[in-house]
Amino acid sequence: MEIIQPIITLLFFPAGLFVMGNGLAYLWVDRKLVAQYQNRIGPRWFQPLADVVKLLSKEEIVPTGIEAWLFNGLPLLALACALTAAVYVPLVGLQPAWSFQGDLIVTVYLLSVVTMSLALAGANTANRFSLIGAVRTLTQLFSYEAPFMLALLGPALVAGSWQISTINAFTGQHWLILTQPIGCVVALVGLMGKLELPPFDAPEAETEIVKGALTEYGGRGLALFQLAKAVELVVGLTLIAAFYLGGIGNPIEFFVKTLAILLVLAGLQSLFARFRIEQTAKWWRFAALLLLVQWLIIALLGGKTL
Amino acid sequence: MLALEKFIVPIGPQHPALKEPGHFEFAVDGETVTSVNVRLGYVHRGIEKATEDRNWAQNLYLLERICGICSHTHALCYSLGVEALAEVTAPPRAQVIRSLVAELERVHSHFLWLGVAAHEGGFDTLFMYSWRDRETIMDVLEGLTGNRVNYSANVLGGVKFDVDEKQRAAIQRGVDYLEERTHHYYKVVTTDSTFIRRTRGVGTLTTAQAEHVGVIGPMARASGIARDVRVDAPYAAYNLFPVNVVVETAGDLEARFVVRLKELLESYRLIREMVDNLPPGDLTVRMPRKVKEGEAISRIEAPRGEAFYFIKSNGGEKPERVKVRTPSLCNFMSIIATAPGHQLADMPMILAGIDPCFSCNDR
Amino acid sequence: MNFQVATMLSDILKSLFKRPITENYPYERRSTPDRLRGQLAWNPEKCTGCNLCSKDCPSNAIEVITIDRKAKRFVMEYHADRCTYCAQCVQNCRFDCLSLSHEHWELAALSKQPFNMYYGKAEDVQTHRKKLAESKMPKPDPVTA
Repeated sequence: MEIIQPIITLLFFPAGLFVMGNGLAYLWVDRKLVAQYQNRIGPRWFQPLADVVKLLSKEEIVPTGIEAWLFNGLPLLALACALTAAVYVPLVGLQPAWSFQGDLIVTVYLLSVVTMSLALAGANTANRFSLIGAVRTLTQLFSYEAPFMLALLGPALVAGSWQISTINAFTGQHWLILTQPIGCVVALVGLMGKLELPPFDAPEAETEIVKGALTEYGGRGLALFQLAKAVELVVGLTLIAAFYLGGIGNPIEFFVKTLAILLVLAGLQSLFARFRIEQTAKWWRFAALLLLVQWLIIALLGGKTL
Repeated sequence: MLALEKFIVPIGPQHPALKEPGHFEFAVDGETVTSVNVRLGYVHRGIEKATEDRNWAQNLYLLERICGICSHTHALCYSLGVEALAEVTAPPRAQVIRSLVAELERVHSHFLWLGVAAHEGGFDTLFMYSWRDRETIMDVLEGLTGNRVNYSANVLGGVKFDVDEKQRAAIQRGVDYLEERTHHYYKVVTTDSTFIRRTRGVGTLTTAQAEHVGVIGPMARASGIARDVRVDAPYAAYNLFPVNVVVETAGDLEARFVVRLKELLESYRLIREMVDNLPPGDLTVRMPRKVKEGEAISRIEAPRGEAFYFIKSNGGEKPERVKVRTPSLCNFMSIIATAPGHQLADMPMILAGIDPCFSCNDR
Repeated sequence: MNFQVATMLSDILKSLFKRPITENYPYERRSTPDRLRGQLAWNPEKCTGCNLCSKDCPSNAIEVITIDRKAKRFVMEYHADRCTYCAQCVQNCRFDCLSLSHEHWELAALSKQPFNMYYGKAEDVQTHRKKLAESKMPKPDPVTA
């Protein structure tokens, strides 16, 4: 029995299959909300799932002149990292499946690996759009990663722990969005940068470079990358809800809070014109500075009292 | 040796940025574009040659189908040319209705452009809303002419339909709504800072450059050249309803937005005046089946600039030669003039800024 | 200079509480405008067989077949798939025999057969069909003919 329990946790619930399904459902909610904001109908509920199923059943065409094992392996790595990150966050309001001192760093690191493998996948192919997309993905990674990290470390600082479950327990009594509003906004926008959502979709801007780093992917690889993105969305939403919106204690809190964030996220997506990549970088420099100022204030006021 | 090689990013003929086929090669250094190469002609359909096989009336509908967006432009330009050759003048009421449809078409075309340009800049919300509002004008056109795209408003020697009270009310209702929305969009494109950062100072074409490469239409007017066939050589009913030319001097993408949106407001004024002051009278005059021998040139202001028709008749039932030159061709040169030095990310917007119509251009 | 962000906020907030503008065709329909140009209708009573309609048809969609000119017996063969719905034939007809319907416009079909329509009095169409069958010759394509 002691072996079966972790396997179920890993493969089915709350990590594994459940988080993938949840991610696809949230992708649909996101698309539907953006459509609603734009006065359109939007896709039906099964559309992201149908896309993934269709892509999985399609033949993967491996371009010539590239490292085939990298081409096939990187989507797997991306999905694996996203799923591993999901294990450390309080999904559905349950305690994280695994937890140790410093798992916040590991989670953020794993989420970065998803983006890294995306960039590598682009750089691996000889396609010009992919190469530009890869360069842009990396540029964006370097620009948002520092502020995003800082924004997630803000709550860690006041909670006095690097462990997600401890921070979650701490934020259960403190709504940090009230005391660290800048951190909350930057974390939210950082998630948009991570997921390459508009207006930070320069790395996959379809009117410029088709699909960016993923231009050469058509079948299984694309499906796996999409699943990784979907899982990343859930993990990111959970982290922000847990850190800034008063923690996550039960399933109702989980769904209400993450969906509330998604509502704001979809609104932000539909309000802005796409940033050019150098404009994105500029924006993030500004955000990082703001965050450092906020850190300074927290440090001056003695951290924990907040 | 490697440093000398160019990294070329191709846009088109199949590319999500362009819904029509055209090929653009951008040589880039990092993200900066260093040179541009344009290749056109992917949608050549041999329409000019095909006109020689059809009679004068049949050609009206063939030429109308050169372009889906400015279909009335082509039909009108051709009818004016043929009528000049045959020494026939359409009655005044028909002339006003022709201009009315032309202005309605300009409204629909500029709205379409607004959406496309916003989409190229990644501002899909503006795209969706402007296209939603464009439906208003499409419905007005459908109610007025019986079709959303190829209106077939013209016949040789007049127009097919009249504007009655019901149509008048529908047009005024639509124009009132669109005027309000246009003011809103004007505010969006001139004040939204994320959008301005993509348009202000991007793709600047100075007046001297504009004269040099010979741009026409809204492109020229955004670069400070007051050039408009409706004013320079009034056709149809434009001598009865004079047009105020909108000119901006900045020459950048923002100026192109401003010019087109202000032109919309000007079009609303013209449409209102036209439906209120329709002269009484017939809709058509008799047109001979055979057109006198001779040559004619007709020019009209399409939504994108000056459209030009050369028509030659040998006295028979069919034209001997019809040559079409559409505004897009003149404006492509401006891309080569403006693109180098800009970011690759600006290319779709600069491309869309000239409102290219490849199917017009290639025929 | 005005520095503003999110200038479309009012639009998207309004839309959030509104139904989408998209019409769910074919489940939702609205009435078509009176002037919509749909399927061609022909009144054989008034036709004189002058062929002005077919002469100026830009896509050769109309053929007027004369069975007996004196008795005014005509059959019209109408190719809806070729028709561009331009209404030039309606304009040309001097006897107001032709009109484009604004009700019959959903003409999509899975085969070419439904697009070949014969108009006219039932007996005339019968006669024409019989003749066609008798000749057994493949009917020449009007485009190439």
